[in-house]
Amino acid sequence: MRFLARRLGFYLLTAWAAVTLNFLIPRLMPGDPVELLVARMKGNVDPAAIDAMRRAFGISDASLWQQYLDYLGNLAQGELGRSITFFPAEVSTVIAGSLPWTVGLVGVATLISYLMGTSLGVLMAWKRGTWLDGVLPAATFMHAVPYFWVALALVFVFGVTLQWFPVSRAYGLDVMPGLTGEFAGSVVYHAALPAVTIVAASMADRILGMRNVMVTTLGEDYVVMAEAKGLTSRRVMWAYAARNAILPNITSFALSLGFVVGGSVLTEIVFSYPGIGSMLLKGVENEDFPLMQGIFLVISLAVLVANFLADLAYVVLDPRTRQESE
Amino acid sequence: MKRCLALLLALALAGCSSSGGPTGKNSTSAPPLVIHAVDAGTFQEDFNPYHLEGVNFGTSGMIYETLMYFNKLKPGEIVPWLALKYEWSDKGKSLTFTLRPGVKWSDGQPFTADDVAFTFQMLKDHAQLNTSALEIKDARALAPDKVRVDFRTTSYAKLYNIAGGSPIVPKHLWDKQQDPATFTNAKPVGTGPYKLSKFSAQLYEMEKNPSYWQPGKPEVPLLRFPAYTANALQTALQQGEVDWAGAFVPDIQKIFVQGKPEQNKFFFPPAGLVSLLPNLTNPVLARPEVRQAMSLAIDRDKIVKVAERGYTKVAHPTGVPMPGGEAYVPPEYKDAAFKVDVARARELLKGVNPAELKFTLLVPSPFTDWVNAAQLIREDLAKVGITVETRGVAFQDWVSKVGKGDYELSIRGAEGGPTPYFQLRFMLFGGLFKPVGEAASGNYERWKDAATDRLIEEYAATDDLAEQQRATQGLGRIMVEKLPQLPLFYSPGWAQFRTTKYVGWPSEQDPYAMPSPYTSPDAAVVLLHLKPAVK
Repeated sequence: MRFLARRLGFYLLTAWAAVTLNFLIPRLMPGDPVELLVARMKGNVDPAAIDAMRRAFGISDASLWQQYLDYLGNLAQGELGRSITFFPAEVSTVIAGSLPWTVGLVGVATLISYLMGTSLGVLMAWKRGTWLDGVLPAATFMHAVPYFWVALALVFVFGVTLQWFPVSRAYGLDVMPGLTGEFAGSVVYHAALPAVTIVAASMADRILGMRNVMVTTLGEDYVVMAEAKGLTSRRVMWAYAARNAILPNITSFALSLGFVVGGSVLTEIVFSYPGIGSMLLKGVENEDFPLMQGIFLVISLAVLVANFLADLAYVVLDPRTRQESE
Repeated sequence: MKRCLALLLALALAGCSSSGGPTGKNSTSAPPLVIHAVDAGTFQEDFNPYHLEGVNFGTSGMIYETLMYFNKLKPGEIVPWLALKYEWSDKGKSLTFTLRPGVKWSDGQPFTADDVAFTFQMLKDHAQLNTSALEIKDARALAPDKVRVDFRTTSYAKLYNIAGGSPIVPKHLWDKQQDPATFTNAKPVGTGPYKLSKFSAQLYEMEKNPSYWQPGKPEVPLLRFPAYTANALQTALQQGEVDWAGAFVPDIQKIFVQGKPEQNKFFFPPAGLVSLLPNLTNPVLARPEVRQAMSLAIDRDKIVKVAERGYTKVAHPTGVPMPGGEAYVPPEYKDAAFKVDVARARELLKGVNPAELKFTLLVPSPFTDWVNAAQLIREDLAKVGITVETRGVAFQDWVSKVGKGDYELSIRGAEGGPTPYFQLRFMLFGGLFKPVGEAASGNYERWKDAATDRLIEEYAATDDLAEQQRATQGLGRIMVEKLPQLPLFYSPGWAQFRTTKYVGWPSEQDPYAMPSPYTSPDAAVVLLHLKPAVK
């Protein structure tokens, strides 16, 4: 228990640091959101109205310290403020509207990538020296080339040239969002291409990790013993070797869940996907402090929670960590 | 077929079958028009016409209307809209409108002078909605069809902002709102030709308002606004999904026209002016002969052809948009045009120490066309012995540096207004002058000239069109003779449209409105001119 309390204390401290950095970093950018707005509106705003707009957006000339205290106070009440880009929408509304798309797309893609990567890793360790060995260089290649390049290439081939898949949006224009089969089908269809690119680009890590641990595990005595007992090779492969080899992969899966929320900014930009990454880009372009702070906050909290879960998972899965901590 | 296969696969994955059926209404045979106005990943449910950016396009123009319509492509042309006429009194401090009879809100309530008075009263009470900074003292309904707005200062020059830029909202719905500044107006009720019929984060639709005051109009029954990001739009234009867009397209012949110039048209009229800004607080750039020499050295034809892909035209030396602005150009400069004269430029620079002719040209790196233009300017100026180093910076950085006067040379645009005066005032007015270090909102080159300010005040002090034109001509003369800014080319208003569904779009021969779908209320005026294409 002391172990948990200590971890929790550490996470609280990290959360405070993250919140403070969230506050500071956007303010270090040059320029001012209202000036940018005026520049973008190309003179459709009368300069005399600029002060009024500053007030409307809640931009104050108060000292940084005062702003920081206000920010912490609002945060404590769950108040994230109003977005400047989407004024007068609340930041929480903007995040609530985009977060599900990112979690859905990147979350499912991460899950698929782990399931496929782990299974492939197991098989490749088991069937060394067969054609399966060729999968790894291919996957590593996809991992090594810049992600957006893979995505753009797939868009060009399957979206623009062959027209098998849509290249933008989260669902078709002719369906209304709702709990209908039509809508669900459209969402899956639109998520297919971006999900494939995420899986293709991230699978190499999982394959490599799983295969290497698996190869070591296969040399263990208990595996030899299981084989000697005459168990089916499938049973030996999955229940004896893979089960013990999977530990590091589970931890890294828990860790990567945290990054799901951060999304794949590049994926969302290439596919015009309406997730949190696109919102973050918009926020940065417009110096939308409240929106950026809100998104960074959600991302950092998600990473912290995922780390905490990974810690817990380790304690549950590996008895040795429990003993050392007491 | 392949597409069907993939769709089937997707449906099978979702584990359900679609109940289907076409969506949308099919009351008339005329097809819907698909419009792209602004880049957006998702839409927020905001139809408050006084919001600047969060508001969805079409709110003003299609749903809410103004009292008058000002055609920016024919400066001085004012079309009666919700008001039939206007009359100034009290030396430009009072404006009386006579309203059009028989106009109804889309919920059936009659449109009256109370609505107009309420709208201007709201602008007075909520400064953050008053984006034109109108100095309203009072707004009162005199009769059901007469309304008077009083101002604290002479407001002749703001007629456009009052009558052409303030959409009228219904009092009977808006006066219940506590704070109109944050009101998002999800169910808009307006007097305009369209009503909001469907909204989702990726698409909204507007259908024809059957009780619209212009009989038989509009002829386009349904407008669809899908959310496109900038790169998704290029694909959509190529595949023919969009009927009307306002976007920069890198290779328009290949991506959009596709060998069918009669069907896939574009029209890029001047919507503003892009100039080379010399920072006049720099002692070398403050010398008129230096600016004169720079202007003579720059080959603007080449910039337009190479950097701007021929999408626009070289600016008139006065900076006044042409064609259209003829009446605002001094008669002696009617046929003036920029000409390259390297020998004369060298002559002018004889008295300047060559070591001082070294400048940095600041450009926002996301604007690749301006970055290219800057390179060409650098080459041209090198020919007359001026060393220019071009520096691309982030958009935010550029806005901040130019605003504060922390630059030597830069490129920046000035938006055209209903008359060239608005643009020239933004560029030259001493009232906008800010010392270096303070963010300015106009007059970025920091021009201070008593004659200029006098002309601007003269324009603002009169309602007489001829007087206003004379004052603007004076400003044009200053542009040509003193070169406070070096005009380069007109910034184009982007408009791509297909004539397969509808015809009657604006053209160079008939510029009845700005053709860009993102200009309001012009876009609504365009829609009212469209007729189904006959096959």
